[in-house]
This record gives sequence, C-alpha cells and structure tokens, in this order.
Amino acid sequence: MKRPFKVSGTLLHYILLLICSFPLLVSAQQRTITGKVVDQASNSPLTGVTVSVNDTTSNIAGTITDNDGNFRITVPSSARQLVFTFVGRNPLTELINARSVINAVMTAADSELTGVIVVGYGTRRKETLTGSVTNISNKEIQTTTHVSLAQKLQGKVAGLQIRQLGGEPGTFDNMINIRGFGTPLYVIDGIVRDGSSEFQRLNPDDIESISFLKDASAAIYGFGSANGVVIVTTKKGNKGRATFNYNGVVGFQTPTDVPRMANAAEWIQMRNDAALYGTGAPFVTDEEIQKYIDGVPGYESTDWYDVALKKNAFQQQHALSASGGSEKTQYYFGFAYVDEGSFLRSNDLNYKRYNLRSNITTELTKNVKAEIFIGGRYDKRTTPGDNFFNIFKGTRVTLPTETPYANNNPMYPAVVTPSNQNPLILSDRDITGYSETVNRNLQTTVALTYSVPFVRGLFLKGVAAYDMNSYQGKDVGKPYKLYTYVNDQYIVSPQRVGTSSISNNYGNSNRLTFQAQADYSTKIAGDHAVSGTFVYEQRQDWSRDAGLRRLYEFYTIDQINAASENNQTNNGSEGQAASQSILGRVNYDYKGKYLLELAFRYMGTYSFPPESRWGFFPIVSAGWRISEEKFLQDLIPAISNLKLRGSYGEVGSFDGTIPFQWIQGFTLGGGGRYEFENGSLTNGASSPGIVNPNLSWVAAKTADIGIDIGLWQNKLTIEFDVYRRDREGLLAYRNLSLPNTFGASLPQENLNSDRTQGYDFTIGHNNRVGKFQYGISANFNYARTQNLYVERGPFTNSYDRWRNGTADRYNDLVWSYTYLGQFQNSEEISSYPIQNGDQANRRELPGDFKYQDVNNDGVIDDKDMLPLFLGANGTNDNQNPAGKNPKINYGLSFNVSYKGFDANILFQGAAMYTVRFNEVYAEVLAFRGNTPAYFYDRWHQTDPLDPKSEWIPGTWPASRFNGDVGSMYKESSVWRKDASYLRLKSAELGYTFNPRLYSGAGIKKIRIYATGFNLLTFADSFVKAFDPERLEGLFNAGFNYPLTKTFNFGVNLNF
Amino acid sequence: MKKYIWLCCLATFNFAGCKKILDLQPTDKIQASVIFGDPQGVKIYMANLYFQLPIEDFTYFRQGFNQNGGDPNNGGFLPAMVTDEAMHTEFGDFVGDNDFQWWDQGYKLIRDVNLLIDVIPTLDIDATEKAALTGESSFIKAFAYFALAKRYGGVPLMKTSQVYEGDADALKVPRSTEKETWDYVFELCDLAIQNLGTEKGRRASKWTAYALKSRAALHAASIAKFGNLAPLSGNAVTQKLVGLEASVANAYYKLSMDASQAIMTSGQYSLFRPTPANPTEAAENYRMIFQDPNGASSEAIFIKGFTLPGNNQGHNYDIWFQPAQAANGWPHPGRMNPTLDLVDVYENYTTPGLSSPVVTTVDGNTTDYNGYSAAKNYIRYDNTNDIFKDKDARLWGTTILPGTNWKNTPIIIQAGYVKPDGSAVIRTKDQITIGTETFHTYGAASTSQYSGFDTYGGNNTRTGFSFRKFMNQSGPIVPGWNQSTTDFIEFRYAEILLNYAEAVIESGTGDVTTAAKAMNDIRKRAGHTGDIPLTSANLQRERRVELAFENKRFWDLIRRREYHSQFNNRMMHSLLPLQDLRALPAKKYIFVRVNVPNSNPRTFEPKSYYRYIPGIGSNGLVQNPQY
Repeated sequence: MKRPFKVSGTLLHYILLLICSFPLLVSAQQRTITGKVVDQASNSPLTGVTVSVNDTTSNIAGTITDNDGNFRITVPSSARQLVFTFVGRNPLTELINARSVINAVMTAADSELTGVIVVGYGTRRKETLTGSVTNISNKEIQTTTHVSLAQKLQGKVAGLQIRQLGGEPGTFDNMINIRGFGTPLYVIDGIVRDGSSEFQRLNPDDIESISFLKDASAAIYGFGSANGVVIVTTKKGNKGRATFNYNGVVGFQTPTDVPRMANAAEWIQMRNDAALYGTGAPFVTDEEIQKYIDGVPGYESTDWYDVALKKNAFQQQHALSASGGSEKTQYYFGFAYVDEGSFLRSNDLNYKRYNLRSNITTELTKNVKAEIFIGGRYDKRTTPGDNFFNIFKGTRVTLPTETPYANNNPMYPAVVTPSNQNPLILSDRDITGYSETVNRNLQTTVALTYSVPFVRGLFLKGVAAYDMNSYQGKDVGKPYKLYTYVNDQYIVSPQRVGTSSISNNYGNSNRLTFQAQADYSTKIAGDHAVSGTFVYEQRQDWSRDAGLRRLYEFYTIDQINAASENNQTNNGSEGQAASQSILGRVNYDYKGKYLLELAFRYMGTYSFPPESRWGFFPIVSAGWRISEEKFLQDLIPAISNLKLRGSYGEVGSFDGTIPFQWIQGFTLGGGGRYEFENGSLTNGASSPGIVNPNLSWVAAKTADIGIDIGLWQNKLTIEFDVYRRDREGLLAYRNLSLPNTFGASLPQENLNSDRTQGYDFTIGHNNRVGKFQYGISANFNYARTQNLYVERGPFTNSYDRWRNGTADRYNDLVWSYTYLGQFQNSEEISSYPIQNGDQANRRELPGDFKYQDVNNDGVIDDKDMLPLFLGANGTNDNQNPAGKNPKINYGLSFNVSYKGFDANILFQGAAMYTVRFNEVYAEVLAFRGNTPAYFYDRWHQTDPLDPKSEWIPGTWPASRFNGDVGSMYKESSVWRKDASYLRLKSAELGYTFNPRLYSGAGIKKIRIYATGFNLLTFADSFVKAFDPERLEGLFNAGFNYPLTKTFNFGVNLNF
Repeated sequence: MKKYIWLCCLATFNFAGCKKILDLQPTDKIQASVIFGDPQGVKIYMANLYFQLPIEDFTYFRQGFNQNGGDPNNGGFLPAMVTDEAMHTEFGDFVGDNDFQWWDQGYKLIRDVNLLIDVIPTLDIDATEKAALTGESSFIKAFAYFALAKRYGGVPLMKTSQVYEGDADALKVPRSTEKETWDYVFELCDLAIQNLGTEKGRRASKWTAYALKSRAALHAASIAKFGNLAPLSGNAVTQKLVGLEASVANAYYKLSMDASQAIMTSGQYSLFRPTPANPTEAAENYRMIFQDPNGASSEAIFIKGFTLPGNNQGHNYDIWFQPAQAANGWPHPGRMNPTLDLVDVYENYTTPGLSSPVVTTVDGNTTDYNGYSAAKNYIRYDNTNDIFKDKDARLWGTTILPGTNWKNTPIIIQAGYVKPDGSAVIRTKDQITIGTETFHTYGAASTSQYSGFDTYGGNNTRTGFSFRKFMNQSGPIVPGWNQSTTDFIEFRYAEILLNYAEAVIESGTGDVTTAAKAMNDIRKRAGHTGDIPLTSANLQRERRVELAFENKRFWDLIRRREYHSQFNNRMMHSLLPLQDLRALPAKKYIFVRVNVPNSNPRTFEPKSYYRYIPGIGSNGLVQNPQY
C-alpha cells in the first residue's frame, strides 16, 4: 500500500540549487553526464534505472544506476534528452540543455502515483476513497514464497482471515475469509470468477495488485459479495522496449511438527494395561513385554512414519514474463511452472501447474481501445491408490510391533494390525493404483472502450468474457496382496477382492459474462467533481459432468475397457444458472474534502420465482478529509492525512439457497430403490416436499466507520475500521415447530438472522536513515458472529432455554465440563459424586479425570456443563463450521533495505479459538491400534497384576480401551485446547548485485534471495505438535497432510 | 426498472437471448402426471414406498432402517445384541432410549402413501388396477402403523393426507388409544386382504396381508394378556394411550389365528424340505433357506431383495459377522457372538422337549460361572465341537461352533490351555513348548489363523461362538461396504405356523391338534422324529430356536412383557474351549462356562417397553410413561 507523498519543498530547492550552481558545458564532441536518481515518494536512491539518450540518429547504449542510484553516461554533444526508465515508474525525460549533472526524481507508475486502486467496476484515488478497501501490490505479495496465493497473503491484510486445512500438494484447501463474513467473491480483471481454489492457483507473478473490498463497497457486485470481494488485477504491458523478468525458486519442505507415536515397548505396556483393566487378563506375559523393552531380535519397534514418509519434500517454481509495447499496442506475457512434491517416500503424491497469460492492449482507432486478456492454466495432481488420510492413519494406528514386510522380505508386503493400513504399501502407486486430477482452465476477456469524442470524460465500454474449466479425473484402485509369515510359509491375504476398480470422470463448466458500461466524469465550477458509472451485466453458467466406473474381476491394465463389463456404472448431471443486473454509481466531491458516493445494484436470478427474482440494493458512503481543511493544517501541521469515512450497503446473498424451491415435483434422486423382481432394481421416485414460493435471498446489511491518519509526511499511517454486518432471512427449516406427525419437512424459509461485527486496523511506519530504509506494518482483526433469531421449537422450560438456546448468542460457544484434576486414589473416587451415569464411578481409576459438580446435585451429568470454550463441535472437511475460526487474526511485518540488501520478516498469528481432536490423537489406543507416545506418561501400578499395588502418577489416566473408561473423554479442558499461536510466517533475505557488474550483458537486475516459511511457532505445547493453524480435518482426526515449513532459494532476473 | 434492462440488452446484445436467460428449468424434478399416468410410473413411486417399509432386515440396526448407504459404519451392532441371542465382540451397550426409534420416518412413509391414496380415484386406469393399488397402499400403511404401534403404543392416526396452509397448530392430531391404533392396523390389513390379488411375488398380495395381520394381532393380543406383568403408570396409561385391556386378548388371538389359518389352508405355502434324512441334512436345509430365500419359495411369503452391491442396494452382514479367519482382508469381522445362553436353549435329540444346557463338568453343574479351577472335574472331549454332538440341527445351521468348518476352513475358537501343572492361561496370548510341539493359547500361532478370544483387533468371538445363519457360504467375502446381496425373508411360513400355535395355546381356544402339528412339523424339519406336546414353554423355545436372529426375539420379549424379568441384573455367558495339556500326548479339550468377559450386567427398565415420543415440544402429544 504505497502512499502518495508530496514532493518535499526543501528537496526541490536543493535540486534547483545544484542545477543552477554548475557551469554550462558546451561544444564537446562527447560529454559525460553524471547524476543520481531517487524515488519521489521515499527520496531513496533507485538502483537499476535505465538511463539512455533519446536520439534516433545515434544508437548509444544506455547505462544503469548503481546501488546508490548514481549513474554516469557519455553522450554525443548532439544529444538533447536523457530518458530514465524503470519497472514500476513513470518514464522520465529530461532536457539536457548544457547540464553535466542531472539528478532525476522518478515517480511510481500511474496506479501508484496517485494511489489509484481498483474498486468495483472502476478505480478510485486512495485519498477520495470512502469505502474500506485494502490494496496489496505484487511486491508485497511476493515477499512470501508458497505454491498457494492465499499463503502469500496471510498476515498481510487487515481483516483477511486465512487458515489451512492441510498442506497436501494440489489441494488448495485454505479457508479464505474477509472479516469473518465467509467465503468472499473473487473478481479477476473485472469479471466475477468464483472459487477460492481458482484464485489460489493464479500465477502470482502475473498479478499487478489485489484489492480487498471489505465493507459495503463490495455490495455493488451483488449476490455473493456480502462476504466481501477480492479483486485481482493482472499486469498489463508498458510502452517501451521489451523487458523480461525471470523469477525462480527451489526449496524443500518439512512438516512443522508431527506427534510421535508410541514405540513397541511403550505400546505393549499400555496395551497390557488395557487388557488388565478391561478384561482382567493380561494381554501377553511379562516375559514377552520384557523382550519388547529389550528390543531382542524379533521384538524390534517399527516407526511407521519413518517407513512411509521422508524428512523433506522438494518444490520448485519458475516464472518468466515479457512486457513492452509501442505507442499503440502494449503486451504482457507470463508463463509459470510449479512443481510440488510430497513427503511420501514413494514420491507418488505430487502437483504440477503451468500458467500462461497474455494481456494485450491496443488502440484500434483514435478513440477505441481494445483489450484482450487470456489466462490459461493446466494443472495435475497425482496421488497413490489410497488417499493421504488413510496413508497417514496407517502411520498412526499400525502397531509398532508389526513390520512392513512379512519375514522382512521385500517381496512380501505384510498384513498389519489393526486395519491392514500398511502405509508403505498404500502409498505406492505400483501396488495400490493411483488417482489423477487434471484441470484445464481458460479465462478470456475482450473489452472495447470508446472515449466519446466531443464529450470530454465520457467513456463507453463493452466487455465479453468466456471462461471454461475442463476437469478429468482418473482413479485406479488395483488389487494387491499382503502376506503373513507363519510356520515358514507366506500366507496370502488378498486385498480389494471384488472392489478393485477403475473410474474416469469428466466435467466441463462454462461461464459467459457480458458487460456494457458507461463512465462519465467532470468538474463543475472547478470545485465540484462529479462522476458516474452505469453498467448492465449478465452472466450465464452451464456445466455437465459424467463418470464411468468398472470393477475388475482380474486386474490387467489401467484402462476402462480392460475392466469387467459385469460391474459397470455411470452417472452424470447437468446444471445451469443465470443472472442479470444493472448497477450504477455516482460520486461527488467538493474540493476533494467532502466525499459522497451513491450506488445501487438491481439484479435478478434464475433461482427464485419470476415474481420475486428481482431485487434492488442501495449503497451509500461518505468521507470527510479533515486534513484538507485549513484550520487543521494550521493547527496541527504534523497531520498529513486525516480522513473520516463511513459506508452502508445492502445486498442479497444466496448462502445455501437451493434453486427452484418454488417448483413442486417428484425427484428420482431422493427415492429409495427396490427389487420387485429378483435381480432387477427399480429406482424410486420420492414425493414432492412442501414448496415455498416465497423463498428469497438473504439480505445482508453492512456498515463500516473508518478513520485514516497519516502523520509526519505519512511516515506513520493508521487505518482503523469498525464494522458490522447483519444478515436477515437466513435459511432455516421450520421443522422444529411443525408436528413431526405431518410426515414432510417444510422447505427452507428465510427465517434466521445473525450479526458479524468487529474491527480491524493497520499501522504502518516507513522511514529512511541514510542508506538504511525500513518499514514496519502491523495489522489486526477481531471479528465475532452472533445469532440473532434462530428458528426452533418452543422451549420446554427455562433450563432448556439456557442450555439449548442459541438465539442472541455467539455462534462459537462450546459447552464443557469443568475439569478439576485427577483422582489421586480409590478412596477419592468412591466418595466423589457420580460422574458416569448408570456405571456410577465403577470404571474410574486413580489418575482418571474428575469434573466439577457445578450445580451441587451430587451427580455430574449434562446439567453441569457450562459454555466454557470458543470453538465449535462437528467434523469438517474443507469448510469451517461457523465458530471454529479464530476470532483474532494479526500480522506484523518488517522490511529493511540497505544498499543491495533487502529483508522482509512477517509474523502472523491468531487467537481466541480452540481445537479438539477425536480418534487417535485424543483417545488412548483408538481402533485398538498404536497410540501417541504422550499417552505413555500415564498412571500405572507397580504390579499391574495386583490391584492393591501402588499407583505411580502420570499425566494421563491408566491406559484402557474407550469401552472400559468412565468419563475420560467428556468435553473439558483436557481435550479442548486453546490454539492461539504466533508464528514467524515468512522471512526473506535478498541481495541485488550492483548493476554495473553485469549491465553490459543486457541484464538490468540480478537479485538473489533466500526465504523461509512457517519457520517458528509459539503455541500451547500440546497443540503445537499438531500445528494450531491447521483444522482438525475429517472426523476431527488430525490426519490431514501436515503443514509445512519451507526453505527456498530464488533468483530474480530483469533483462 | 426492468424496462431499462431490456433497453440495455437491446443496445448491446441480442434481445431474444436476453429476455429468457433467467427462465431456466430444474433438471431434477418430475411432474405428478408423469409418475401416475402409467402403471410403470406408479411402480417407480411404489419402489420408494417399499424401500421405506419398516422391514427389520439386514440393514436394520439400532439407528434405524436402511443402514446401508455410503459408509454405514455403525459397528455392526444389531438388535440381537440387546437380547439374549448374542453379544457384540466389543460393545456392551443395552437398550438405549434413542435406539430403535422410527417416528419421523414412519410418518413420512404414511404421508407418502396417503398421497398415493389421494390420487388413486383420479387415475385413468381400470377398476381392478385401482383395487390393487388400494390394497397395496393399505398394506403399506398397515405395515407402518404396526411398526409405530409396537414401538409407541397409541399414536396419531393420519387417515388421510394433511395439507399445510401455514398454520402448524392445525396439523396437530392427538394420540389415539393403543386399542384404536391396533384396530386401525387390522382395518387396513382387512382392506388390503379384500383388494389384493393372490399372485405371489415381491409386491404385496393377499397372503402378505394375512401374514402381517397374523403377526400384528399376535403382538396386540400378547400385550393385552401379559401387560399386567409390567404395569406402567402416568398420563399415557390413564388415557389408555399405552396398554390394552386383558379382556381384548382373546379377540386379538382370534384375529391372528384366522389370518394364519387362511394362509395354512390356502395350499400356497409349505415348509422348505420338511423331511430331512438326518440332522446333518436338516442343518444344511435350514441354512439354505436363509442363504438363498428364492430357492425356498414355498416357505418365503414376502422377500425383500438386495440386488446389486452398492449404496442402498447391498448389505453388510457378511463383512460384519464373518469369523475372523474368513475376513479376506476386511478389517472388522466377527462382530456377532451368539451367547451360550442361546446355545443352551437348543434341545438335544436325546432329550426332546427340554432345553439342554451345555454340560462341562462331571458333576453336571451348569450354573457355575466362576471360571476355571484345577480342582474341578471337567469332561474331556476329543475336539472342540464334540460337546454339541446331539444338539438340534438348527444350532449347527445358525452358529459356527468351535472347530466346525466354514468355507472349507476349520474355524478355530480356543480360549487358552491348561498347562500340565494344572494352571491355566486363558485369554492371554501365550505359547508353551512341550517336547517338540508348541501350543498356542488361541489354538494357532497367528492372528489370521484363529477366530476366538484374542482381543487383538476386536475381531474374535468372546462367547465361543461365531455366526452362520444368513451368511453366504459360497465364495470369499468382498471386503467392502454394502457388498452382500443375500435376500431377506420378512414373512415365512414357519412363523405363521408358530403364530397360529401360540394364538391357540395362549387363548385356550381353537384347534389344538392342528396347532400342535404346526409346531411339530417345524421340529421335524429340524431332524426331530417324535412329537412333543403343545405347551407355552415348548412353543416359546421353538420360536427362539427356529426364528433366532430374525429380529423376532426382541419383540417377543417386549410383547410378552418378559424383558424386565429376563434382564434383571443379568450377565450373558460364554463357553471357553481350553486345550487340556495334562492329557498329553492325547489331544483333549475341556470347556468352562463363564460370564462374557469384559461385560456388565444388564437390566431392562420397564419404561423401555415403549419408546419415547420425539418432538413433544411441537407435536403436543402426551409422552410415554417415565420419559
């Protein structure tokens, strides 16, 4: 977020003085000119600026400024002008006249010069902006290196919440969320192009900037924009000679942390405890246990993680771009390649991506400009024949007493307990098969802009955009064999008998958008600036997908025709959607002090009945630039910028609406199937439910009040916003209040409401001391959502209301028992209130957890639960259930540069949320498999066979299977942990070589850099091993791919 | 405003294309005229109704019906495991309040069938087709109300479909009395009987309607007769919403008797292979009825089919209940452990008419569950199934006994051994080498070679018995979800005979000779040769044995109000086969009767005779007692 700086008066004086004080040089054949080039905004020297003579007759090579911004150039005496060019700056031409010293001040290229940032259907100058919009430039994005664009943004934008589900290559399962509102709308080059996954796969080198519309200013995009809008603007070419830019990184990843599982000696002791405290008989004899402890031959421990996974995974990214152009035509071409490997020793899980972009702008006639933007992507994700979840589960649950191969003979993969999830075998595509996903994506935009002659300030624009995505998936599940070695024989255990299959899936989706736009701006009487934008927009989407599947009776080859025709299935579906809108915006400002913006969107959607499918949504915002007022300038000169602004807007949103709810009909999808004749199946039709002809969109109302402050020539800047979004008409079923004897559920209705509110701020400081330049930026966001109205049946009593009511409460409360500590002895257990229902406290042992009898009724049950935690229950896959997100997200970045060196450090953190695992990580001996090593620190007896023997305390209760414990797994602070964390998200150190060293070779800039990602994490010691940023994942098991710590080395080349 | 849109369209693009772009049609909805305009369309609708029938088949678990979609991982916990028939390998749960509920789904089926009943008069089909539809829909509705009545007692009777017009209160219907509810079931059965044809098939016929009535009326009659064994109290009782007067018992027994008799005298049905040559043949005949009901069409009155492997098509009996040795790569087999309590019930051919508990000691004590003691004088057997030698063929057809063959593999179920010094190692993995031979506690060295007692993967029986009935013996299992396609018999002739005999003996009316013959015919099919007298005890034992694992025992305990007396702090029992190494070099086995390891005593709460009614906050109904 470059801030425009006023050219300092003193500096100008200084330069003028310099120029005047030198004598004029005349009548030399050649002469030498020296000087220094500085940046207008920061007054810092610019390195690598091309300085050349603008002379069509002589072809004199230019030069390049050094690390201090100095240059020296010898020019013919006939030369009249020096031209300074540099990436991201406006070209500058200086008349030489008779000067031998020419110092130049370069300004940032147009967009940055005036702080013009991209907003909905247009651009705004930063200082006249009335909405809450944050803009991030390519340079700031690129300080973090990651395959996903989302990870390159995390921690850098106030109010932008990002959380990773896992680090699996090619999954792009980052949750992206603006201000806690939900999944935002994505706009790429002016066209709504949905999908966080698509967004994350953009080539970051192609991106000029990204704007985040965080308040009502997003509402102009209509449906979907209630959650904020992310606008990506890609790079366009500049006039001038072709410049090339290469950016390459190679690096390796390691998991941030992975909990250690028990080894054979630890496991067998815990397993024996479980047998004793469960069935009363030991699992194995003491002599056997001792053999595992001693690790005698045949009793070694297998570390399954180490068997299947390696320490490091390789990745590389290369991007090459070219840009340039003539007076009339400018071009930008970008190409990128990404290759991300995985931790699997088999190397059979990986991701590859190719991006291509061609952005061409040309002037067709004097008043007509054409833009053709084409972005293409091919990417491919490959996994072995079982998914990572199962492979990783295999490394967790498979017993350390098992071995990968029967009789340690690599010819015979072993049967393993408990679930035959031999991770080494599951991860090998040659054995289990594979799954491949290929996406081909094309985004095209053609725009014609007509600047109307004779009407100054009026532009007409027509845009057509067609996007296409083609998906191909192929899954091959091969049958394979596992073996047990018994009595000198390999006993075969065939796997996937009868379920070995091959499937091919195809999908194709299309999107066609048309826009017609008119822009007009003018100034009336000098002080009244008025501008307006009106747009008609329509969008159509259609898609078709199909899948084929056959089973193998006998596996031959991975081709669909090679599998059996006896067991083949296929499926397919089609979908379509459409919307139309007109929208408009009028801006007015008086002397740049008083700002007003009025906008609306009137739009219709296919998904509601014709009578009610259209809606009108207004937006208003205003600002007051107090710093433009004379009185303030006189009063407090230190204030260079002070603006108050506010916005309010309404917009309709879908939020889970099922289309065509108003049409009654039978459906074949929902009916059960029945076999009326032996061997022949009839697909049943399900009866129509009740229709709701009044179903409509959810109305979201967003309000924001903000203040922007700049002090001391904007060396210190502060932006602060408080915001609120109320949603009404959230969909809910009236089920609970309809008698359940009716036999059908009511359709969705617009019943519920909620409110999300919070604040965010950014504080920045930039300064330069000598050659040392630095910047610090901190951002912070707090957001929380509460339910307002929640449809439900009547409460039966006030306790029911207190315990089960959710209205007017935060949506992130988790009810829990109050954990008091561990029972120290059996006397304490027998005198303790009953906490395990019918089983009394019969199953509790010393070391077990005890909970508080909150209501003092002598029984610890559901009535003793209190809303103790922030979080949410429920398993989840890619989506965060409401409430799981951190309420606080923050980032802190530092950048410094000194001569050729530059460094960026980004800290990022989150707070106010909890995680709660299930299954292996939070259950001793889950699935009767291996268990985390931390459970070994447990209560146990000196002589397990003697129930009266002394107890030795530990962190965890005595090891038992979950059917044999009392209240061990009740929700409490034992299992639900605060996951707040702070991490060193990224650090980058770069060095730019002095251009003099290589300018002769036609190279303008060489910069090398090293970066690290997720380098350090500070969090609760239990949670840290799971990585607090990561979601618990499927079944809350924590078996999703580990988040990664990455080390990269890269090079930038400009030539 | 819309006018401007069209103007914009006109200015920029093709007008006609614009105007229609929002007028899209759904791709998944079908109009009523398409469905009901043709018998084939009606059949499509019927498929969904039959699918919803509360048939307690292979997909019926405590979570409810049709538990075979997607990943139906419910642990394989069956209703049989809350009766005295079986234990789960791992779980010890008993009847929970939320188990076996069927309320919302029941009323959904009733609404769906009422929608069809509404439309029948308007259909353009001939009168016989209309009658058939009336009969079929009455059968479905009767089936649904029977399932509701046996769970909840009296329920709201939705005789016609309701229309929601925005007022939820208008939809509230109070509970009818339990008697009214049963009477409505019988009324619907009669309507079905009148209208349905006699053609046998997989859709309802006159015979399926009679069979339903036979079962339902016996249930109602039993509640009337035995209700006083477990008196309940509360509003639901005083308003007669639960419970029946004892005085109606005989009338209901008569309804059952008549319905059964209609089937028995029809000449349409008979027992499958009624005269086996020997018990071995009888065991195999009995097993074959269930492995392929289509081969036993004389006995199967109503079959629910499982067609293809796959979601909502196949089921999971074979993977859940296969003995561990036959798991074929499936990680969770062996969940069904028939109890010693059930095994004890089967007669010995040598003592017809008497349950024959398994005798393990010379003193003949069959109530000592204190475990192994070197001091006790155990009977030694040459192998692990000799002890069951004279047992009823149906035991062999129902369970896998230790050491018997399954899919050509001897299924090894051994709990331990007695060392030569008399000390025993039981249910602990151990081995001992004596001379040159090594003995293993579980009868073999590797977990893949035995099926009993090792708690290693939770896959080995802990009662000493594995499961055979319904299991497909031909070929290895396919280790995936929903791969079994064995069909299920919902009504079979043997049950009708037993219903008839029970109605006669319990009511003290009717033709005792025919009733006794009905019971003895079934026994003869199982290899018995002589007749035993028709007594209530003999008949109930016969029901337990003949209908074991057909999800009848749960309801028999309920309707006869025996649950709370049978399960009063009750432990279930296991039989531990031990190799007796004291007998070496002879290979000998002894058996120990014990409580099922790692299990808790079970007590049935009388309130559980009825399920609680869900959603009383909004449906305004009177709750069942003690909930």
